[in-house]
Amino acid sequence: MNPSPPASGSDAAPPQANSVLGVLGRVLLVFVLLGGFLVAIQCMGGSIKLMGKGTSESLFQGIANPFAALAVGILATVLVQSSSTTTSMIVALVGSGELEVQQAVPMIMGANIGTTVTNTLVSIGHVRQSAAFRRAFAAATVHDFFNLLCVGLLLPLELMTGFLSKTAIALTDVVAGSSGAEYKSPIKAAVKQGYTAILDLLKSMGLEGTPLAIVVLLVGIGLTFLCLVLITKNMRKLIAGPLEEALNRSLGRSGLIGIGIGILVTIAVQSSSITTSLLVPLCAAGILSLENAFPLMLGANIGTTVTALLASAATDSTAGLTIALVHAFFNLVGTALFYPVRRLRMIPIRLAEGLAERASQNPGWVLAYVGGAFVLIPLLGMWIFEGAG
Amino acid sequence: MHWLQKLGPQSRNLEAINANFLQMLEDGRHIFDAAANALVGGTDPTVIREDLFKTDQRINQTEQSIRREIVIHGTIHGAGTFPALLVLMSLVKDAERIGDYCKNIYELASLRPPLGTTEEVQELIELKDQISKLIVRARAIYQSQDEDAATNLIQETGELGKVLDAKIEQGVMAQDQNRSGLVLAYRYFKRVSSHTGNIVTSIIMPLDKLDYFDEPGG
Repeated sequence: MNPSPPASGSDAAPPQANSVLGVLGRVLLVFVLLGGFLVAIQCMGGSIKLMGKGTSESLFQGIANPFAALAVGILATVLVQSSSTTTSMIVALVGSGELEVQQAVPMIMGANIGTTVTNTLVSIGHVRQSAAFRRAFAAATVHDFFNLLCVGLLLPLELMTGFLSKTAIALTDVVAGSSGAEYKSPIKAAVKQGYTAILDLLKSMGLEGTPLAIVVLLVGIGLTFLCLVLITKNMRKLIAGPLEEALNRSLGRSGLIGIGIGILVTIAVQSSSITTSLLVPLCAAGILSLENAFPLMLGANIGTTVTALLASAATDSTAGLTIALVHAFFNLVGTALFYPVRRLRMIPIRLAEGLAERASQNPGWVLAYVGGAFVLIPLLGMWIFEGAG
Repeated sequence: MHWLQKLGPQSRNLEAINANFLQMLEDGRHIFDAAANALVGGTDPTVIREDLFKTDQRINQTEQSIRREIVIHGTIHGAGTFPALLVLMSLVKDAERIGDYCKNIYELASLRPPLGTTEEVQELIELKDQISKLIVRARAIYQSQDEDAATNLIQETGELGKVLDAKIEQGVMAQDQNRSGLVLAYRYFKRVSSHTGNIVTSIIMPLDKLDYFDEPGG
């Protein structure tokens, strides 16, 4: 007999110390991290104020043009690999009054586009197996095509009519009083204390003026990123079991269930990329069809807007809530436009399948697509439209 | 199962996958009994046909379902789960093969071939009973992960395999042309027994040596 540790069945799974205490500990940690996240938002908003009006005006002059702003949203998200971080930053800036809601709308839309590069990179892992790669790449890019179609349709509409921002302002008035007014957030006092503590610490180190503002901004960005990453990590461990059960049940089920699961999972892990990147290997293996993965992705798009809504609770004015609501409405309207009618729903799916077919025959298409859609075109857009108000 | 092993969402989901696998083995035992009884037990093959093919279909669907669950489990829980999942992929193939060979037994039974002398038919009946009990034991051993019982069962299926190989050779080399049915019966019984043994090798053998219990270590 060749003694070895049992390799099969239940004994092979390492025992998880996810006891009741462990679960409670993780939940507590998540709440602490959420608090840190809100303090980080306050830091970002506060840092712009510390810079002084002249500095902030010149900072955002370049993105007065909506297409430049869109490009900035895409690039920022591609850089940090997190739409939640970018949208939180945007909410902080709008909430601090340094960025107008109308200026920020295209940036929020750009963040939606930039976040999908993560999936594309995940799909490249299957490039050696033609059929699996074709399925994986299609699963990664269907999200991109949906976002691009939504921006292509809704950005011009928004620029012409302001329907997203006007609806968001109206809802903000109902929920929190006049949009732009000082926001009497119930947790604002606690968040403000955290921000003040950081500010006092940095001042005690001799920092003041613009250097202080820059350091506070960097602290804010870094803390946002760190808290979101840790929240995602912990929540993923907490919900792994129910997530697996939900995915097992949702295979081949109605789209509305998929959308619901996508929303709930993304709210839980606070990351649309985690949700959608889980779908890529499932599609690659062929056990989840593209048509069934699509509603899960739409749900992830909607679920991720909760992060921006959470961030708005830490902002000084209700404008932060307004832009967060714009983000939510953009995704809800996009889903409502493209999902219910099958013919429309199949547009991003067919586009993704077409690109995947080309990419599986010639992987150069992948480089062209990633480089073009997420780097070159946004950079060109910024360069061409920067300063064009 | 130790109480520590019950903790954690990963264990719960693996348990669900294992439960489906155990059901495959139960169906395998059922389909073997039905087919073997049709061959040597006097059961009319036409009577059991529908149940047999439905059971085989259920085995195949369970295999596909387990494969999907394995992919989802691995995707969510990460690379640490791959050894256990790779083992499961191998095991469901063995369980599915049991179903396939039982279909072969049934098809042989439908032809109603001569199966040798009265003593040889009696021997087949005893083999049928022995193999049926092996499948039941394999299921229980897999559930309990009893290493000693696994070793004993593997040795038993190994010895049975050698006996059946000798009978197959005898039958193939015999001048009597009516041996083909008997030889096929031995062959199918041997394959069912071997796949049953393969399943419990997973309890004591490392992943790369699954099914290779009888080969020299390397």
